[in-house]
Amino acid sequence: MDKDTFIKLENISKTFPGVKALDNLQFEVKRGEVHALVGENGAGKSTLIKILAGNLQPDTGAKILIEGEECHTLTPLTSIQKGIIVIYQDFSLFPNLTVAENISISNQLGCKSGQISWKQMKETAKRALDTLGVDIDINATLDTLSTAKQQLVAIARALACDAKLIIMDEPTSTLSKGEVETLFKIIRGLKERGISILFVSHKLEELFEISSIFTVIRDGQYIGTYPLKEMNNDKLISLMVGRKVEFVRQAARNIGETILEVKDLSKAGCFKDVSFSLHRGEILGITGLVGAGRTEVVQAICGIDKADSGDVLIDGKRAIIHSMTDAVKVGIGYVPESRLTEGLILSKSVEENITITILKKLKGKNGLLSLKNKKRQAKDWIEKLNIKPGYPDMTAQKLSGGNQQRIVVAKWLATNPEILIVDEPTNGIDVGAKSEIHTLLRELADKGMGIIMISSELPEVLAISDTILVMRRGKINAVFDGETATQKSIMNAAILSDAGSGIVC
Amino acid sequence: MKRIFKKKEMGLVILALLLMTVITSVNGSFLSPMNIINILKGNVILAIVSVGMMVVMITGGIDVSVAGIIAATTLVIGNFMVSVTGNPILAYILGIMTGTVLGLLNGLLVAFIQIPPIVATLGTYSVMSGMMLYLTKGAYINNIPQEFIDFGKTTFLNILPDGDGGVIGLPIQLAFLALTIVITWYIMKYTRTGRGIFAIGGNTISAQRIGYNVNRILVFVYGYMGFICGLAAVTHVSIMRQVDPNAFNGYEMKVIAAVILGGVNVMGGEGSILGTLLGVLLFAVINNGLTLMQVSTYWQKIILGAIMVFSICFVVIQKRRASKKHAKVDIA
Repeated sequence: MDKDTFIKLENISKTFPGVKALDNLQFEVKRGEVHALVGENGAGKSTLIKILAGNLQPDTGAKILIEGEECHTLTPLTSIQKGIIVIYQDFSLFPNLTVAENISISNQLGCKSGQISWKQMKETAKRALDTLGVDIDINATLDTLSTAKQQLVAIARALACDAKLIIMDEPTSTLSKGEVETLFKIIRGLKERGISILFVSHKLEELFEISSIFTVIRDGQYIGTYPLKEMNNDKLISLMVGRKVEFVRQAARNIGETILEVKDLSKAGCFKDVSFSLHRGEILGITGLVGAGRTEVVQAICGIDKADSGDVLIDGKRAIIHSMTDAVKVGIGYVPESRLTEGLILSKSVEENITITILKKLKGKNGLLSLKNKKRQAKDWIEKLNIKPGYPDMTAQKLSGGNQQRIVVAKWLATNPEILIVDEPTNGIDVGAKSEIHTLLRELADKGMGIIMISSELPEVLAISDTILVMRRGKINAVFDGETATQKSIMNAAILSDAGSGIVC
Repeated sequence: MKRIFKKKEMGLVILALLLMTVITSVNGSFLSPMNIINILKGNVILAIVSVGMMVVMITGGIDVSVAGIIAATTLVIGNFMVSVTGNPILAYILGIMTGTVLGLLNGLLVAFIQIPPIVATLGTYSVMSGMMLYLTKGAYINNIPQEFIDFGKTTFLNILPDGDGGVIGLPIQLAFLALTIVITWYIMKYTRTGRGIFAIGGNTISAQRIGYNVNRILVFVYGYMGFICGLAAVTHVSIMRQVDPNAFNGYEMKVIAAVILGGVNVMGGEGSILGTLLGVLLFAVINNGLTLMQVSTYWQKIILGAIMVFSICFVVIQKRRASKKHAKVDIA
């Protein structure tokens, strides 16, 4: 093994129930290099980071070599002791503690004695901040600091822990341009001290500016490692996309009149000037990176999180939607992203879940809820959507992921919507079930419904969207026709600011 | 000097002073040495338990079973003293052991079974108080041995003027409060566990990520609450010289009210011993003052409850505003 190698991973697999997040991955980081880890949403980057941090254990057969020594199990504590420090997007700091304590807390944990020395703690903090060359009051409480300064505190903590590899997860996502420059200067300083940086980001310009080597992963698999001089935007994007999963394209039969129109919708800090229209029979795919503002836009349309300005027109008339209840009244159904937390009451029966949105309609002659009507409705939907097993009394958590998703869809279809919004409809379910959901969405569209589908899975977006909106940092960056778009053109638009070559409809 | 005035506790000090002035102007006997000693003696148990509750609440949890633990412990040591010995040292050892065991039970439920603290402790409280009533049928224990009663009457620092030319000392019970304060202060400030308690309250996930054993700390925290309840129980018997199984009904409300008044954040992460003691003082002054001003106990309850809800609202709204300020992200 190379003497310059700090960490080497081989045969890393990680299986979650139903999903293989990492598949036989290999990976190597040398001392003092800034290494970029790139991949699409859901490619397995976070899982890999969690394994390195000791927060997740890989499947058996994995081999982790740190400085040539094999580590059988990494726990959060041993991982830190080996010098692997992860700076998560939320920094993992303590808002209620002082800067000094935030920096030295891991150090104090490593000490044998259970006693705290405040003097030592302050010295450690001071030294770490001096090394970084930044000036922050070590006695200040952390939550009085700006985000950029909090990040510096997190980096100082890594230094105080004697970090040899610092993993930064999307470190620039909350920084301004000037702050990014400062961060890069600091990263270069760390590199000179022989500290390796694993830089995880979607912003290609930044990756090319700071990294010397790139590792690409896709679908949990290792695609390759390439030095900076062999790499360019074009190549990187083609390596990231091209996932193996292919779905049969299901195109629209007949697209009717406009049903929903969104005009200049804006919300500070989330999205800006979003305009588009949706037609009957059309499936509108909205894609882009996580955090691009996709979910925020549809939640604004549904009145869950109101927009600051802009209009929503339904059938040409301006609709005022202040809450989900209003949205249901004007004919919008919304299937949220995490069906488990937002869409389903897992401990309740299939019947309860399906009928929860329409209880008012199920009143009997006496004005009370008619249990007979309720059961009939539930059975009806179970049959229509082919939910298996078809027992209305079964608790929702006993069903498979695909069938749970059907329950959520049924629940919203029961409200008889004209517009159905689905957010990551096939997240976490197997390929077969995904196809079935696609067919279901297409059938609904063919019956005259307008459907908005948010998805990060490009093959899925390409398979059933008639029009594709690509969002980037809160704006619609490109619009594509579903027939002619390619994974690469979409990825370009999602990542690069100057994509713009979409077909405007 | 500026630092002192900037501290959160300063507001409490000013509030307490203001209240005392008002009460004194209405009833001059408020500031007499005897009344002050009475206030101290009457609230020393509250202060001891509040310090423990502060620790629990800093983790973001709560323990509503304190009244049950204290009452159960008084019963155990009451029976022990009547049937075995009135030796105060043995009584304290037994009392502390009993309290700690009951507290650890809460800790295990909260940490390992992950029952929300309020539900877990509400459950154990119900079990404890039901058990106690079943065993005692509500009867008092009155024949506490003289040895223990004499211990409870001891005073120290017998040099303070009593206002009539004589001297009085501080009741021995205050020494136990001092002990609680010193131990808790040391744990919270100078031990890894203590800083871990703050860390968990600030951000549990981060605490886990950097390698704190969150479960172990939680078990310790509830165990320590039990330890303090045990200490408080024996001290209580030394003041009252009897065991009344119903003496602590509703006591958890008083404790929580005092701690919240003392500026401990109900969401966890923030709190100080000084603040907590000031909270107890404020609570005691309000209570004593309202009594001296002859406000009915019904109104006292209403006023205290309102103060509590108001101060929680204040903290929660403040937090929400702060988090909104942080949530801004720039858009290209």
